Amino acid sequence: MLCQNCKKNEATTHIKHVINGEATENHFCHSCAESLGVGGFFDDFSLNLPGIFSSFFGDSVFSLGERQLDRCEKCGSCFDDIIKTGKVGCADCYEKFYSKLLPSIQRIHGKAKHQGKIPEIHGVKVAAKEKTTEEKIADLQKEMQKAIEEQNFERAAVIRDEIKKLKEAE
Amino acid sequence: MSWYNTLGEHGDIVLSTRVRLARNLEDFPFPVRLDRDGKKQVAECVKEALSDYTETELNFIDMEELSRNDAVSLAEKHLISPEFAYDSTGRALLQSDDEEVSIMLCEEDHIRIQVILPGLSQKEAFEKAEKIDKAIEEKLNYAFSEKLGYLTQCPTNLGTGMRASVMLHLPALVRKGAMRRLSATVAKLGLTLRGCYSEGVEAAGDVFLLSNQVTLGISEEAALQNLGSIAKQIIAEEKQARAVVISDSEFIDKIYRAKGILQSAYKLTSKELVGLTSLVLMGAEEKIIDVPMDKLSSMNILLMPATLRKAEGADLSRDERDIVRAKRIREVLG
Ligand SMILES: [Zn+2]
Ligand SMILES: [Zn+2]
Repeated sequence: MLCQNCKKNEATTHIKHVINGEATENHFCHSCAESLGVGGFFDDFSLNLPGIFSSFFGDSVFSLGERQLDRCEKCGSCFDDIIKTGKVGCADCYEKFYSKLLPSIQRIHGKAKHQGKIPEIHGVKVAAKEKTTEEKIADLQKEMQKAIEEQNFERAAVIRDEIKKLKEAE
Repeated sequence: MSWYNTLGEHGDIVLSTRVRLARNLEDFPFPVRLDRDGKKQVAECVKEALSDYTETELNFIDMEELSRNDAVSLAEKHLISPEFAYDSTGRALLQSDDEEVSIMLCEEDHIRIQVILPGLSQKEAFEKAEKIDKAIEEKLNYAFSEKLGYLTQCPTNLGTGMRASVMLHLPALVRKGAMRRLSATVAKLGLTLRGCYSEGVEAAGDVFLLSNQVTLGISEEAALQNLGSIAKQIIAEEKQARAVVISDSEFIDKIYRAKGILQSAYKLTSKELVGLTSLVLMGAEEKIIDVPMDKLSSMNILLMPATLRKAEGADLSRDERDIVRAKRIREVLG
């Protein structure tokens, strides 16, 4: 059977999916299954596909012992549970297993930095937090652009020096 | 107003727009780590948090007390996910009478706020969902991290936790064989396009779901804008393709025959109905034939197995259902 996505390679990943009570099957080759990720062809949120999800962790370098013994204190999940189910146990798991989850998150989303809405309480937290050098530079660059547009070249020059200083300090 | 009873702008091509927000409470493990009591506790918390929400009146439904048939009917209307209909343990639903808002409690995440509206209306749908989101967040702490955004049980929904989708009826593009190319194109733009009532690769009734794929690293606004502009392009392509298709006498014949079957059949399966109405609705939109479009369009949902059984009596056999379905269609086209 050929992969339904590329129509070239032999399909090796077969996914059964139930929509409106009717089972359907999808067939992908290994590379398409990986690149499509779990979001590929299914009901926008129903992503109960532990098999394909765990392929994100395929070449996991962590030893089995480490994956099973190290548990989240809040919910009791170990990393192995997450691999097997494709489901993260609780909010704390994201902190505890952050470095292990990060590669797969990047493979799913491309980027791993949230943009968009922030809940109010957290909004306050974020505003009170010290900005990173990168963010400071981005802000200054915006300001410099504005100064240039206003033909305030003196101010633009001052800002440019400030950016330079920040970059050197980094 | 229920999306399936109304035809918005380009109503024959854009059936509905749906926005879903995935949220979790900081103080509870995710549903995968919750037993029945834990799930019920979460549901109570959210119910309580929204008890003085006045924007929309929300009815609380304990899914365990709802019959399987009624639950499947909700899934047929796209108000809940199929998975939510099949496992009711500890789960609950908050729903508005107009069927625009449904909040699934303890589905994949603690909270799934859904708004579904007719036509292409991703902004309105998002605003409506956001109001509810704000009301919950005033009372309860969401699981959130600055880096990863809203924390979700499945990492595919991290970030905004938002899935927005547009349901599209694309018979002419299907006939033209353009779907594969379109799917590949939108995939490059961070969206997915796939059959809505999928049966293998072909989509029954030529109905497709266009939705945003990536949720982390893109703002809600950008994702919605992206979705809207690509939906508009696909609508324009479908219109162009229709102009070509309807000049073909073979195809016009198909449309006439489809209408003939709907007008005179004694029995109709729901699959047959979806396929035939797809042709007839397109013919009506292109002024080849005349039928009450909004009524016929709503029949696609109202005559689905569980929804029909809910309306006509639960003990209806499959055979009796097919007979009633055909009768109701004859009445609409009468
Ligand atoms: Zn392939
Ligand atoms: Zn945990």
